[in-house]
Amino acid sequence: MLAFVPHGEGVYMSRWIVLSLVIVATLLGATTLTVIGPWSGPEMDKFMPVLQEFEKQTGIKIDYKIYRAEDLANLLPAQFAAKKAPGDVIFMWASFIREYGQKGHILPLTGVINEANYLPGSLNQVKVGKELYGTAYTGKVKPGFWYRKSFFEKNKLQPPTTWEEFIALLEKIKKIPGIKAPIASGDGVGWPLSDVTEHFLITFGGPQLQLDLIEGNIRWDSNIVMNAMTKLTSILEKGYFGEPTEWTLVLKQWWNGDYGLYFMGSWITGMVDNPDDLGVFALPGAKGVVFGADYAFVPKYTQYPEEAKKLIAWLSGPQGQAVQVKQGGHIATAVGIDLSTYPPVDREVAKIIQGVTALDDLDDSIGGEFQPAFWDQLKLLWVQPSRVNDVIKVLQEKAPKR
Amino acid sequence: MKNNSRYVLFFILPAILMLLIFVVYPVARTVILSFLDSDGQFVGFKNYSKVISSREVFDPAGFSRGFPLGALVHNLLWIAIHLPLTIILGLSLSVLLKNVKGGSFIKSIIFLGMVMPMIVGGVMINFIFDRNLGIVNGVLSLFGVQGKTWTAHPDTALLSLIFGSVWLWTGFSVVLYSAGLETIPKDYYEAAQLDGASSWKIFTKITVPLLRPITVVVTTMTLLWELKVFDIVYVATMGGPGGASNVLALQMYTYAFRAFDFNRSAVVAVILTLSTLAVSLSLVRSVRDEQP
Repeated sequence: MLAFVPHGEGVYMSRWIVLSLVIVATLLGATTLTVIGPWSGPEMDKFMPVLQEFEKQTGIKIDYKIYRAEDLANLLPAQFAAKKAPGDVIFMWASFIREYGQKGHILPLTGVINEANYLPGSLNQVKVGKELYGTAYTGKVKPGFWYRKSFFEKNKLQPPTTWEEFIALLEKIKKIPGIKAPIASGDGVGWPLSDVTEHFLITFGGPQLQLDLIEGNIRWDSNIVMNAMTKLTSILEKGYFGEPTEWTLVLKQWWNGDYGLYFMGSWITGMVDNPDDLGVFALPGAKGVVFGADYAFVPKYTQYPEEAKKLIAWLSGPQGQAVQVKQGGHIATAVGIDLSTYPPVDREVAKIIQGVTALDDLDDSIGGEFQPAFWDQLKLLWVQPSRVNDVIKVLQEKAPKR
Repeated sequence: MKNNSRYVLFFILPAILMLLIFVVYPVARTVILSFLDSDGQFVGFKNYSKVISSREVFDPAGFSRGFPLGALVHNLLWIAIHLPLTIILGLSLSVLLKNVKGGSFIKSIIFLGMVMPMIVGGVMINFIFDRNLGIVNGVLSLFGVQGKTWTAHPDTALLSLIFGSVWLWTGFSVVLYSAGLETIPKDYYEAAQLDGASSWKIFTKITVPLLRPITVVVTTMTLLWELKVFDIVYVATMGGPGGASNVLALQMYTYAFRAFDFNRSAVVAVILTLSTLAVSLSLVRSVRDEQP
């Protein structure tokens, strides 16, 4: 057939074929990594510059998808069973990474991540023996009760230094006209209530209690737990906590002055109009604070294992984390990031956690059936504190046992 | 004739194969799974007794203490409240709106609840019963009643979901009853009126009996929905607080995807399948008996 094509037209056609092949080869060669994370809205806006910086430095394109960890917990086991993965780098609970790492669905990062570049202990949650199945990204601290400095100034209030002062503060706030309750109760899936509860357990039971509960070394109906829970229920019974309300909605209500205090993680600084107006205090006597790092892993079924490892190493390294902490609301787990990189409000958080023990999140660490039960039982406790014994009974049933 | 049979077999074979692979095999596997332990050993009815005696499924202490009563009892409560309300409301509204100007428009509005995805319905229920934003508290405040977030309290969470779902599901029965009303000959009503029958007599002696086939369909479909209700509960309360609005389908999900205990999950699946099968068979029998 080509013999009938005039000479000039044949050359023209050949050029087109070559050009098309080049375009196809380029398109096939362009690597696009999919990163799956939980951040949406303002939190996502602060994460995107990190990914964009990586794209700029390496030329590797990144597609970011939002999935809540709760949804990934349902999706990933089925995907893994089919030897598939919805992303190349996935942010997920540490307990999940450990479990599925041991089952062989996750690429080990030993040798990719240098443990010496991280805060001591921050990678323990994703390590089994000597094998590292994930890495720690930046962390969020759950330092205590947040307040608006302007609200405290207007009502002549002071952060408490003793339990008695704390109760007196709650009583004063309760009497302020227009206040629904002294403390806003964030709800939704249930984790904001669990964060408050953990703060009480750590304050009145000590940091070791948190570790023992995670490991199943101590019973929920033990005296030490009951003592902490009694402190919590005592202020629930007095109506110092508001009714559980969706946490982003109640955040706005608290900011608008419907509540005086709000227990939340350090990401709150990125969710309010004026972070400079934020103040925070821990329960007097708290010797530990939950430091919840975000963990990420590379699934075994990624199409681009080398690129994915490169991305995860960069993201969790000082370069990636520096871009993230600069946006506010995040505390680095990587060492070597200058304090001046942080916005002023995060420096205040950093001050609170100085000299106290950084602890893992209780329910995230245990995971499994315990986590939803813990959240659900606390929702019950918040509206019916008199049923604390029922709640404790269920938690003991679901808790890990040694 | 023999050739014809071969053709028939040839054409239905793909459908049979699909059914075997995607329906029969999973059902059989689920039933088998319900009799095994996590190591795959046969354990008889041990899983069944474990599930039925668990407080998540049946919690007799709740009868003296208050909610939760267990997912099984919650499903039964759902049926006991939701089913009669849906039927009575559906029948009454379709009869009342039959000869009203703009009745079709009102029926369309009622049907909107049915058109809405149940996931969205769950979110809407949360708003309806919210302390600050909800219409329920808005109405109550007119009478000076102090409201609360009804879905956040154990004694009202399940009832809120049930009443919310009545709003979502009534459109279904209204549409079916309205279609059924159109099939009743007008002569029957005219004859009854000539004989001096009252409206109530006409309703109870003509309308209700002649709508019996529709009632059977509405009852069956509603019962099936009530047995497998999941989405509304998952979105609105996640079965809480403290399991106070938990239902069997959600418990099946919790066993499977939270506890990763597929054997207990299979037990709940078998219980649900048997219950729905019993309801479906009664519908089939009823329809068969009505045929001349």
